[in-house]
Amino acid sequence: MPLDTSTTYPLTRLRLDGRRWNELRLLQAQISTNPASSGSSYLSMGNTAIMCSVHGPAEGRRGEASGAAGSAGAIVEVDVNVAGFASVDRRRKAGGSDKQSSRIATTLRAAFQSHLHTYLYPHSTISIHVSVLSADGSLLAAAINACTLALVDAGIPMPGLLTGCTSGMSGSASTPRDPRNDELDPLLDLSLPEEQELPFLTVGTTTCVPVGENHMDDEEEETKVAVLNMDSKLHCTYIETMLAVGMDGCNQIRELLEGVIKGSNRG
Amino acid sequence: MKSLRRDLSSNPQASNVASKVFVRSTKSGKVQKIVRELYLRQDIPCSSKLCSLCPSIAPSDANGNIAPFVLSDRPAGTKAFPRGHYLVPDTNALLNGMDLFEHTGAFYDVIILQTVLEELRNQSLPLYNRLLSLIKTDEKRFYLFFNEFRLETHVRRGPEESINDRNDRAVRAVASWYEEHLGASAKKGKKEKSVPAIVVITDDKGSIKKAKAEKVTALSLSDYVSGLEDSEKLLDMISEAREARDSKGPIGQLFYPEYLSMSKMMTGLRAGNLHQGTFNVSPYNYLEASVKVPAFNRPLLILGRDNSNRAISGDMVVIEVLPQDQWKSPSTKIVDEEAVTRNDNPDSEETEAVVSQNERKALQEEVKKAHGKNAEGKPQPTARVVGMIKRGWRQYVGHVDAGSTGSQAASGRRQQTVFVLPMDKKVPKIRVRTRQAGDLIGQRILVTIDTWDRDSRYPTGHFIRSLGELETKGAETEALLLEYDVQYKPFPKSVLDCLPSEGHDWKVPVSKEDKGWNGRRDLRDLLICSIDPPGCQDIDDALHARKLPNGNFEVGVHIADVSHFVKPNNAMDLEASVRGTTVYLVDKRIDMLPHLLGTDLCSLKPYVERYAFSVLWEVTPNAEIVKSDFTKSVIRSREAFSYERAQLRIDDPSQTDELTESMRNLLKFSKILRQKRYDAGALNLASPEVRIEADSDEVGDPLTDVKTKAMLDTNSLVEEFMLLANITVASKVFDSFSQTALLRRHATPPPQNFEDLINQLSKKRGMELDVSSSGALASSLDRCVDPENPFFNTLVRILATRCMTSAEYFCAGAHAEPEFRHYGLASPIYTHFTSPIRRYADLLVHRQLASAIGYEGEDGHAVIEGVNTRGKLEDICRNINFRHRNAQFAGRASIEYYVGQALKARGEKMAAGGTDSGIDEEGYVMRVFENGVVVFVPRFGIEGVVRLEDFVLPGEAGSRSVSERRELAVHRTTHFDPEEYTLRVEEKGHSEKERGVDVELFQRVKVNVSSVKEEGRGAGKRRVRILITG
Repeated sequence: MPLDTSTTYPLTRLRLDGRRWNELRLLQAQISTNPASSGSSYLSMGNTAIMCSVHGPAEGRRGEASGAAGSAGAIVEVDVNVAGFASVDRRRKAGGSDKQSSRIATTLRAAFQSHLHTYLYPHSTISIHVSVLSADGSLLAAAINACTLALVDAGIPMPGLLTGCTSGMSGSASTPRDPRNDELDPLLDLSLPEEQELPFLTVGTTTCVPVGENHMDDEEEETKVAVLNMDSKLHCTYIETMLAVGMDGCNQIRELLEGVIKGSNRG
Repeated sequence: MKSLRRDLSSNPQASNVASKVFVRSTKSGKVQKIVRELYLRQDIPCSSKLCSLCPSIAPSDANGNIAPFVLSDRPAGTKAFPRGHYLVPDTNALLNGMDLFEHTGAFYDVIILQTVLEELRNQSLPLYNRLLSLIKTDEKRFYLFFNEFRLETHVRRGPEESINDRNDRAVRAVASWYEEHLGASAKKGKKEKSVPAIVVITDDKGSIKKAKAEKVTALSLSDYVSGLEDSEKLLDMISEAREARDSKGPIGQLFYPEYLSMSKMMTGLRAGNLHQGTFNVSPYNYLEASVKVPAFNRPLLILGRDNSNRAISGDMVVIEVLPQDQWKSPSTKIVDEEAVTRNDNPDSEETEAVVSQNERKALQEEVKKAHGKNAEGKPQPTARVVGMIKRGWRQYVGHVDAGSTGSQAASGRRQQTVFVLPMDKKVPKIRVRTRQAGDLIGQRILVTIDTWDRDSRYPTGHFIRSLGELETKGAETEALLLEYDVQYKPFPKSVLDCLPSEGHDWKVPVSKEDKGWNGRRDLRDLLICSIDPPGCQDIDDALHARKLPNGNFEVGVHIADVSHFVKPNNAMDLEASVRGTTVYLVDKRIDMLPHLLGTDLCSLKPYVERYAFSVLWEVTPNAEIVKSDFTKSVIRSREAFSYERAQLRIDDPSQTDELTESMRNLLKFSKILRQKRYDAGALNLASPEVRIEADSDEVGDPLTDVKTKAMLDTNSLVEEFMLLANITVASKVFDSFSQTALLRRHATPPPQNFEDLINQLSKKRGMELDVSSSGALASSLDRCVDPENPFFNTLVRILATRCMTSAEYFCAGAHAEPEFRHYGLASPIYTHFTSPIRRYADLLVHRQLASAIGYEGEDGHAVIEGVNTRGKLEDICRNINFRHRNAQFAGRASIEYYVGQALKARGEKMAAGGTDSGIDEEGYVMRVFENGVVVFVPRFGIEGVVRLEDFVLPGEAGSRSVSERRELAVHRTTHFDPEEYTLRVEEKGHSEKERGVDVELFQRVKVNVSSVKEEGRGAGKRRVRILITG
């Protein structure tokens, strides 16, 4: 049995994969990986690898997109597929989606439906396909990032990059926080073993591209939380710390993604 | 299509990412391949105070704090390493010598590697936990170095390389890195002279050889220890488990059958062929054990060493039932390990068979008996141990069997093998190798069992430490505490830090605006008093009663509000939950909570204001409860009475003040309540308890301090109201927490438990015991009276109590509601609420009740954390049940020891005066065996085995020395009638009626009690001897 974070972290300030509390895993990404789609991306955060492709905006099918709902703007459709070989045990399930992937899909749909400038494309559908090739924690966060890249690749207008990240605490954090004797550290970008052991949340933030005449004066970019999701149980006094660390992680990721987007132009 | 291959070349950080791949198999047998990333880095500090490089790169945590450096700049040196040294142990060294690493005399400045910690965790979880707590203490200077993440020390497993070799290589790599690193960094600091040596400790010979080639200093554990001062003592502490296997080479004669593999056991258990249970050795016969399994309503018997197959009392074993022709009835003989095997030689193995001749003889008679037509009862199913689920081994207190040491024991420093006789008679003797045999004779020592191999008749263990000389108060008290696993170390600083900073000056806030008053009712004007045993300092409870305008009465029970001071999950709470209960010994109290709380701030002392948790009832003059109410409160106790003083005051008609009147009312109600309880079928049980009033160091006869517990009306007054409070609280808590309420139940004992007692009573006295319900049992117990023998009834009650199961804590979700019943109290629901100072369960119930009544605490937050998860609660229940039981055992053992010492002191006094005649007392026969009886002496609350030699036959001189008496046994013969429970002891060849002694069950006998020193075998051991004189 390997060691666990909650016992060894206080002794060494190192996580089980050798990271410090505020370090992201190695993030690598490419866009335009699949020329057959409108936009596509491949993104890996540590051992989590996700492929994403966007089709559309295309004319809506006869269903809802053309109806009253579609008249306001494009409908975003998200389909998440976790490959059978993505985790340690191979899953052999014939078709259908499980609870985990449908929850991710719902969250993604809600996030991007309101994030994208959909009003530009009435009566049309933007469909996003997310394929998880390998799952090693922070699935939702990685999926948000991969979708953002693919949507940028597809040229769909959005106010800023929507990036996601997880943050957790280095212990069970079930009792109120004692400010004098703070033993627990927040952790950034959790891997699967950490997610299984520790409480964590996923946060997605976005920045608005500054508009208006005096936007140049406003050095500080305004960050907005667009996605916030937590399934674990912890004492409410820790939320603030975790949120702050998670948003900081989102900003780091945003810079990395901007680098990827700008870099791909040169290539 | 672009390539999706992970491109590592472009990213500068990527070269530092390695991955760890390993394969594991799950419980269900599935094999999984796990891949983990490893981020290699260079900012992991060496943590040596010598280093000038690392402090600049040392990382900080989220609050910007840098972990202090651990390893000393002036580490201790030895002869071989005069400049000092840091130790780098490998996994084997820790496995074999954890006791050494915990020793306070040596082993400082140790670097524990991540590789080693991980391997240790896989091999032994208890050792892993011990190592972790070592790392956490500052004094020992243990540093956990995450070598796998440091770029320089990360080692990749080569092809064909075994995982052990890789790990050994990692250890050596760290050692050489440290050497280089300290050399480089200390030079800058110009401390070149004092660079300490890095010493790898490993028991792997191959690794030592390789280390030599790589120029790394490596020593085996024993070589290293030999270079230390005090090496003899330390060498004994190395575990025997591995060494023995290495040195012995080919395994000798195998005495025991092999255990089944885990998968075979599981299949057998599932199929129902095999059964699982706890191995429980009979206190009278070390060769007989029983295992209770759900499939049978009686415990299965396990007879003989062969069948018990290396199991030790407390192990979780898997057993197989033997064919019916081998079924036997339980033993009717007292068999003592010391007596049967006293001549065994600890060194030689070759000549002995697993069942020695003596043992075989002892067993043979059993079989004969079992097949004889007049065997007691039906033969019982027997079984043999075929597998081991979990060893229940712990550390054992014992003493070295002087007979087993070699002739030159006292002089030589040679290592030799000796037997250690554990204090617990159910544990076999333990073979221990030691170099200090001479010094250890006559000492109480602590040993542990390492292994019990198939080729060894006895388990092998090693010496841990000496507690001091036998029979000294300090050593015996510590022995007792260790034996019953009582946490007796002083409270650590982290716990004391949780106490209120005002210390003894803490007071209830004067202003009612203070947040301490939030949600508290002011009950300071009530006439409250407490009634406790004399000299009680930790006053948990206080009472009051007053007349209400409507003619009813208000009765209140006020319990110390401990949960106000002990907040959930802080260090003090955790410590208390581990300790579970306060342990009372004759002359010592081991507190659950620090002294300041237990005896002052929480204690409901008289004349001062204290926080309390109150239960208030409105009762009619006939003690019918109209309503009940719970509240946190502030009270001021008017007086702290002892039971006697309260009784005197109530009985004194001249006292007519309000307080006395209120006590009289309480007494009146308690009597009604008591009667109601008995009408509902509550049992009045008895336990053979005596109380010891140790009046400081009075010179008088210490035996006069031994008093049987007197029951005054005031005792039952307090008891009745506490029961009522507990029951009322239990149902309230259960209403609010249907799954997680902490309750206490006493299961209805299965009727077959009583079979023997029913049989005995009907045979000997023609009495009947109706066990169909607790009420029936209570009334039939009342009928068991012998007009000529007033103690008989108590004796029967004691025996009946032993037939029952013990009460236990549980959380409400664990049982169905009908199972909540408390059998002894005849209450459908029960819990413990009234003694939070000395029991952790009560503290938890306080928290639950506080939350149930919506008490919001000082800062407005409801304090339900830590009480609402069922899993955690079940763990706590398990622990407090265990602690509760052990505390009772420890208390009893302490009294027994005190009585023994008192007898000894008296004996010595008498001996000075010429004769050591012991004390003549009355005793009662509790059990009859074929070669002795068990006698209970109520005056001292002790029971003892009376063997053949201890019967004083008519016409024989009274007392003789132990060795003389022992010889008598050979000349004696017995006639044992198991049907009639009688035993006749007589001289061989003298069967005349008047030359023998007849004893029978329940008989009152005259006994002579004295404390004698054992001679010969367990030299130096003392026991209470009971002689039957007629």
